[in-house]
Amino acid sequence: MPPFFFALSELAMKTHSLRLVVSIILAGIGLIGFVIGLDYEFGSARRMGTGYFPVVLSGLLFVLAMAEGVSSVLMPEAQSPEPLDWRSLAAILCSVAAFAITIALFGLIPAFAVVVGLSTLSERGYGWKPALILSVFTCIGAWLLFTQLLGMALPLLQWRL
Amino acid sequence: MWDNIQLGFATAFTLTNLGYCFLGVFLGTFIGVLPGLGSLAAISMLLPLTFYLEPTTALIMLGGIYYGGEYGGSITSILLNLPGTPSAAVTCLDGNPMAKQGRAGVALFVTAMASFIGGSVGIVALMGFGPGIARIGLSFGPADYFALMLLGLVAAATVGGGSVIKGLMMVVLGLLLGTVGTDVISGDFRYTFGLLELRDGISLVGMAMGLFGVAEVVSSIRDAKTRKITQKVSFRSMMPTRADMRATLAPMARGSTIGGFLGALPGAGTVIAAFLAYATEIRVAKDKTRFGNGAIEGVAAPESANNAAAQTAFIPTLTIGIPGSATMSIMLGALMIHGITPGPLLISDHPTIFWGLIASFWIGNLFLIVLNIPLIGLWVRVLQLPYKYIYPVVIAMICIGVFSMRTSAFDVSLVVIFGGLGYMLIKTGYSPAPLILGFVLGPMLEENLRRAMLMARGDPMRMISDPLTGSLLAMSAFLLIWAVVGGIRNLIRARRLQDMPSGEA
Repeated sequence: MPPFFFALSELAMKTHSLRLVVSIILAGIGLIGFVIGLDYEFGSARRMGTGYFPVVLSGLLFVLAMAEGVSSVLMPEAQSPEPLDWRSLAAILCSVAAFAITIALFGLIPAFAVVVGLSTLSERGYGWKPALILSVFTCIGAWLLFTQLLGMALPLLQWRL
Repeated sequence: MWDNIQLGFATAFTLTNLGYCFLGVFLGTFIGVLPGLGSLAAISMLLPLTFYLEPTTALIMLGGIYYGGEYGGSITSILLNLPGTPSAAVTCLDGNPMAKQGRAGVALFVTAMASFIGGSVGIVALMGFGPGIARIGLSFGPADYFALMLLGLVAAATVGGGSVIKGLMMVVLGLLLGTVGTDVISGDFRYTFGLLELRDGISLVGMAMGLFGVAEVVSSIRDAKTRKITQKVSFRSMMPTRADMRATLAPMARGSTIGGFLGALPGAGTVIAAFLAYATEIRVAKDKTRFGNGAIEGVAAPESANNAAAQTAFIPTLTIGIPGSATMSIMLGALMIHGITPGPLLISDHPTIFWGLIASFWIGNLFLIVLNIPLIGLWVRVLQLPYKYIYPVVIAMICIGVFSMRTSAFDVSLVVIFGGLGYMLIKTGYSPAPLILGFVLGPMLEENLRRAMLMARGDPMRMISDPLTGSLLAMSAFLLIWAVVGGIRNLIRARRLQDMPSGEA
């Protein structure tokens, strides 16, 4: 894992700093939306242009997120929720991303094997045997449901490199 | 009216429609039983399966998934003290203590009965008020539509409890994400970042699956190991005593009324209906200490309320075209995918769809009674399956579901982004449901606002001076002010508590 990931998780250990991180992300989205939105035609109140709605919304989001960020520093919530489950989050997100890549390149069956295999990494000591059995069953089930029953025209296996 | 009901049952009673109705309620209950995943995740996951069906059949199945999920969620609440769906959270409060006292069977029976009665009341309300509300909807102009949607969004952000500012942020973020893609009026691209895939906008299903599917799965993995079901549920143990039956009738009636009313309002939905019904029971009860210790009213009232709300939620969605909750906005998306525009004309233009759907609700609720009382053992066994064998399959289903919507790997990568964002949001006390509602209503809200302002020649006062538009806007303003004042008062109270010596707080 890259080092910034650890830095981020260490930062998020404290409750109020995770709240702060989320409000900074949201404020960032608002700011980017605002800056890009200024390029669009703004129009007037009577004839609103393409940019009217997005600029107003992203400005509002930025202001609200800043207020939330400030209040998360000034008034941290009393009870601390449980820490984030980084391992599960990383494993599940990686498995979904791997599915997106695999299904485009190699087809349905490898994609199912990859998504099931990788998502079992979210728990320590899952064991490769149950993971293997589960992915074989999921592949068979997917083949039955999607290609046989629903007649979806998805390639089961291909090589597109 | 009578002809319409006959038409509806004639539509719903074909073999195909009966079969898909059963499949819908079965799958809905199944996903509802799984902790964390509710009817919203269930509908978006199974939406691609309905692409190959007739629109009426598809809607019957999706509807079945939706209210089936409401039934299933409470089973998990009672047996595991963990809500299977958000609206079943209240059922934990008294349902699980009942299970601990060895009365799990009775709690499950009462839940199924209350759900059925609540559902029935909801369907009757839908049949009675739906056509009338559609007639009113015909006279709505763009300004009224805008004001109504705004009211729904403000209600979703403020009524849900929790922080008002967080709720508002979710709505605004949803509206902003809804602007991505092609602007309907000018045809310009907004926030597409040169990506071809974003020209049609962000995929609703991809976003919903990330925010609700992936994020919920990730947050339930760690707790899953400690869960265990010890109770055995036999058919005989489910039979309530006569005293139980008598104690539940009035709460069911109150719960159904509250739920039926709230479900039809924009932004309220099943969760709030269940909470309010529970609060009402406490207020009405003579002995308030029994609540939280296995009071049977505390199971009956919220369960009938959330199922009544689940049915009446179809009123604004089908007859005006404005969904009141996040789940209903996915239903609206499903309707549009099947080429049907919901709105005041739906009932007169597509009577088979409207009345067929209603007839299927009756049939589906009957199926659910069978699934939840004689066949309850099946769901108990589903809960006994270790979660570690379930979630990889759920993730795989999410992936293939999103991918097959538009055969787009890009949409699957959206699941990664929104899954990560959703998990962080859940952990910091945000509720992603208003985000989905804002996302779906966003383009409609903008279009109607732009038209209304054009008609009012850019003068907002003209919009406000219209009695209907004005009063709807005033209601939104009132809700907002009320919520902000309440929030400030809470802050001051929290400050005072902090300042006090720790012994007194």
